[in-house]
Amino acid sequence: MNVRPSPKLRLCSGCELTTGAKSHCPRCGTALFDRRPNSLQYSWALLITAAILLFPANTLPITQFTNQGLTTYDTIYSGIVSLVDNEMPAIAVIVFTASVAVPIAKVIGLTLILLTIQRQWPLSKTRLTRYFHIIEFIGRWSMLDLFVISIVASLINMGQLLHAKPAPAATYFALVILLTQLAAKCLDPRLLWDLEKKPHHD
Amino acid sequence: MLQKAILCPTCDTLISKATLRHGIKAYCPRCASQVYHQPYCDLAGLAAMTLAALMIYFPANLLPILEINLVGNLRSTTVLHGALTVFEQGYWLVAIAVILTGLVAPLLLMLSILCQLWLLKTRRYPHLLRWLLLRHKTLNELCMIEIYLISLFVSIFKLIDIADLTYGWGILCYILLFIMIFYVQYEYNSQRMWDYYERQAES
Repeated sequence: MNVRPSPKLRLCSGCELTTGAKSHCPRCGTALFDRRPNSLQYSWALLITAAILLFPANTLPITQFTNQGLTTYDTIYSGIVSLVDNEMPAIAVIVFTASVAVPIAKVIGLTLILLTIQRQWPLSKTRLTRYFHIIEFIGRWSMLDLFVISIVASLINMGQLLHAKPAPAATYFALVILLTQLAAKCLDPRLLWDLEKKPHHD
Repeated sequence: MLQKAILCPTCDTLISKATLRHGIKAYCPRCASQVYHQPYCDLAGLAAMTLAALMIYFPANLLPILEINLVGNLRSTTVLHGALTVFEQGYWLVAIAVILTGLVAPLLLMLSILCQLWLLKTRRYPHLLRWLLLRHKTLNELCMIEIYLISLFVSIFKLIDIADLTYGWGILCYILLFIMIFYVQYEYNSQRMWDYYERQAES
């Protein structure tokens, strides 16, 4: 399967054409680069912002619930605990995965990949690449909690009697999803594989 | 002109391209990422599925997807109603995210694919076709019908203890919409579309 690499060929980021053209893709006209420009800088900036916002997203309440004049607040974590208490473990697992595990796994995974690229850590590139594809695929599922909040809020609205509303963490959580998705998009995975060319035992 | 060799988008290895049977995927020998695949159906089949998805889109989003009976008060909701509720409560970023990923992106994706197929068939406006093809990936990632459907089920389980739920035609249409869009996304192949675009541009 392997063909001897030719240094002249490049992949177009717009239409994925492999081309020997110099400045622009002959098929779709997108500017050609060896690697995505400033990939690491963009990715770090988005990732660090997301990691900071992860704290308010997890500590502040994400929903408020009024029952007969009494208002209670739920954070992501306490919402999951109450699902377990109400004997809905399967739903609790889904919400835990989408709202807690996925955002944290995204931040840790991307940090690990970025540090491996910059510090040349001897981690398995195949494993990190697989992790990167999983992050790309599963990252969008964090939207689940926001969809649920919008559905519940639009159905339970009876004033002081019974009322469900979002709370401040919802916005922070939306920002975490947006920023981590963009960070993964900005990261060029080919930089990871470029490490193989650098060592002297080439 | 079909390409003989391609570079892996994940690790930049040059791979010689082999013709695949339908439904078969090719993986990179170096980094094990999927590099290309051969879809099952032709463009006519894709057009049929996209049209079906577009037809079911409107009842799925106009009919109530969920109805509840709260101590004698009937409440019903749609995707848009859910988003507008959180918008009115001041959470406009959440509302925009819901509208964009649950409502606008799926519609634009189906319209874009239909438009691309029409432009290929009639050999018209190659610039518009290129513009649509370049934006396909973003639109595809923003379309989150499958996540919305699972959210709907999670909401049902959360609400089932507080209120009586009824399921109308809306939720059935929404499940059908999910199935149609799932198949459209599975059968749509960017590389094939670009190949057709290139052949059209050459002739």
